[in-house]
Amino acid sequence: MLSLSLKKNYHNFSLNVAFSVRPYSYNLLLGPSGAGKSLILKLIAGFEKPDVGFIQLEEKDITALPPERREIVYLPQNLGLFPHLRVKESLIYPFKAKGQKVDRKYLENIVEEFGLKPFLNRFPAQLSGGERQRVALARCLMAKPKICLLDEPLSALDFHLKMRLIVFLKQLKEKFSLTVIHVTHDPLEAIKLAEHLFIIEAGKLSFAGNINQLFQNPPTGFASDIAKQLVGLKQSLNHLLSNLLPKNG
Amino acid sequence: MVLRKISIGVAFLGGLFIVVPIFHIFVTLTSKELLLTLKDREVWHSLFVSFYGAAWATVLGCVLGIPFAYFLSRCEFKAKRLLESIVNLPVVIPHVAVGIALLSLFNERTSLGRFFQILHISFTDTIYGVILAMSFVSISFVISSALIGFNNVDPHLEMVSRSLGASAAYTFWHITFPLALPAILRGAVLAFARGLSEVGALLILAYYPKTAPILMYERFEEYGLKAARPVTALVIFVSLCVFVPLLHFSKRYVKS
Repeated sequence: MLSLSLKKNYHNFSLNVAFSVRPYSYNLLLGPSGAGKSLILKLIAGFEKPDVGFIQLEEKDITALPPERREIVYLPQNLGLFPHLRVKESLIYPFKAKGQKVDRKYLENIVEEFGLKPFLNRFPAQLSGGERQRVALARCLMAKPKICLLDEPLSALDFHLKMRLIVFLKQLKEKFSLTVIHVTHDPLEAIKLAEHLFIIEAGKLSFAGNINQLFQNPPTGFASDIAKQLVGLKQSLNHLLSNLLPKNG
Repeated sequence: MVLRKISIGVAFLGGLFIVVPIFHIFVTLTSKELLLTLKDREVWHSLFVSFYGAAWATVLGCVLGIPFAYFLSRCEFKAKRLLESIVNLPVVIPHVAVGIALLSLFNERTSLGRFFQILHISFTDTIYGVILAMSFVSISFVISSALIGFNNVDPHLEMVSRSLGASAAYTFWHITFPLALPAILRGAVLAFARGLSEVGALLILAYYPKTAPILMYERFEEYGLKAARPVTALVIFVSLCVFVPLLHFSKRYVKS
C-alpha cells in the first residue's frame, strides 16, 4: 500500500494532494497538461522534495529516502533509454547499479516475455518505437520494483501500437503482480487500463475511484468533462467492437 | 546557383588563407636549414617542454574544469550567469596581462608564493610556471565544452538511473560522464592546443624552461626571420602530426 499526502508550492503553482494506492493495482492519474500529474510522480520517485507531507510505502516512511533506495522505478515520457548502452547492458543495469550479481534466470525470463532476444546487442537508436517501449518496460521490471511510475508512456505512439501496448501492459501487470501508477491525459488509456482513477486538476485531486463510480456519480468541473468524454468514448468503442465482432447469436 | 558559386569561391579563399602561410613556411625551407634544426638539441628540448607543459596543463584543466562545469550545469543559483561569464575571462584577457596577474599572485614574496615554496614549488621560470600559465589560458575551453556536454545529457536519464537503484555517483560515472565525454574530449584537445601555443603569459611568468613558441620568438628577435623559420616549420610539422589525428579521433567519437 502506498499512501501519500503532499504539498508543494511554486511561485505560480501549488500542489496539494492526498491519496492511497492499493498493492497490485493499475492506477491512472488523469488530468490536463500542467495539472501537476508528472510532479506527483517525481515526488513519489524522490526527484522532488515536498514542502509538507509524507509518502508511506508498506507502512514505511520513505519521504526522506533517496530515489535509489525507494524501490520505485520511474519511466519518463521519452522512456529514458541510455543511448550509449546496448539493450542487454540496459537490462542488467539495475543489478550492476546495486552491486548485485545478475539474476540470469530472471533476465532470460524477461527477455523471453518481452521478445527481446533479437535486439539484445542493439543500441536504442537502432530500435523501432514499439521495441523501445518494450525495452524500457523490461528494464523497469529488471529492477524488481514495488511500484512502477509511468509518465505518459504511450503518448508518442500511433493508435494501433498504443492499443497493442495497452493489452501488453495489462498482461504484464497481472503476470508480474505489479503496482502501477500511470500518468496520462488520454481518456482512452483510462478506459482500457484504469482499475483506479485519480483526476488531477490545477494541483488538486478532483476525483478518486473506479471508472464505474465516475460514470454513476459524475463530479463537477473538469472531472465532469472527463466523465462525459469517457462515456462517449466507451460508447464509441462498444459500437465499433459490436460491428467488428461476428454476430453468431 | 549564383549564391552557390559565390559561397564556393569564398570557401576556397578561406581555405587558401589558412593553408598558404603554413605551406609557404615549408616551401621556403632549404634542406640544409632543416638538417641543422633537426640536429639542434635546444629545439627538441623546447618541443618537449611545450608538449609536457600542455599535457599537464590539460590534465589540471580537466581536474578543475570538469567538476566546475558539472556544478554549473546541474545547480541553479543567483550568480550562475555571472559565473558562466567569468569562465570565459581567461580567453578575453590579453595574455601578457594574465602573466602579470599570475606573477603578482604567485611570486616568492606573496603569501601564496611562500606557501608553495614550502612544498618546493616555485612558479617563476620553472616548469610549474609553464603549466600554471598554460592551464590558466586554456581552462575555459575545457569548462565551456564540458558544460555543453553536461547540458546535453537529458536529466531524465539520470532520474531513470537513480530509480533503477544507482547512487548519484554511479549515475555520474556510468551515465552522465560517458555521454558528456565526446564534448569533454574535444574541449581537452582544444585546451591542449591553446596551451601549446601560449607565449604572452609565459614571457612574463616562466620564460624558462623555453617552450617552442618562446624559442621561435627568441630566434626571431635575436637572429631575424631566416633563423626563426626552420624552428617554426618543425613546430608546425610536429603540431600537425599530433593534432590532425587528435581532432579526427574526437570528431569520430562525437559521431559514434
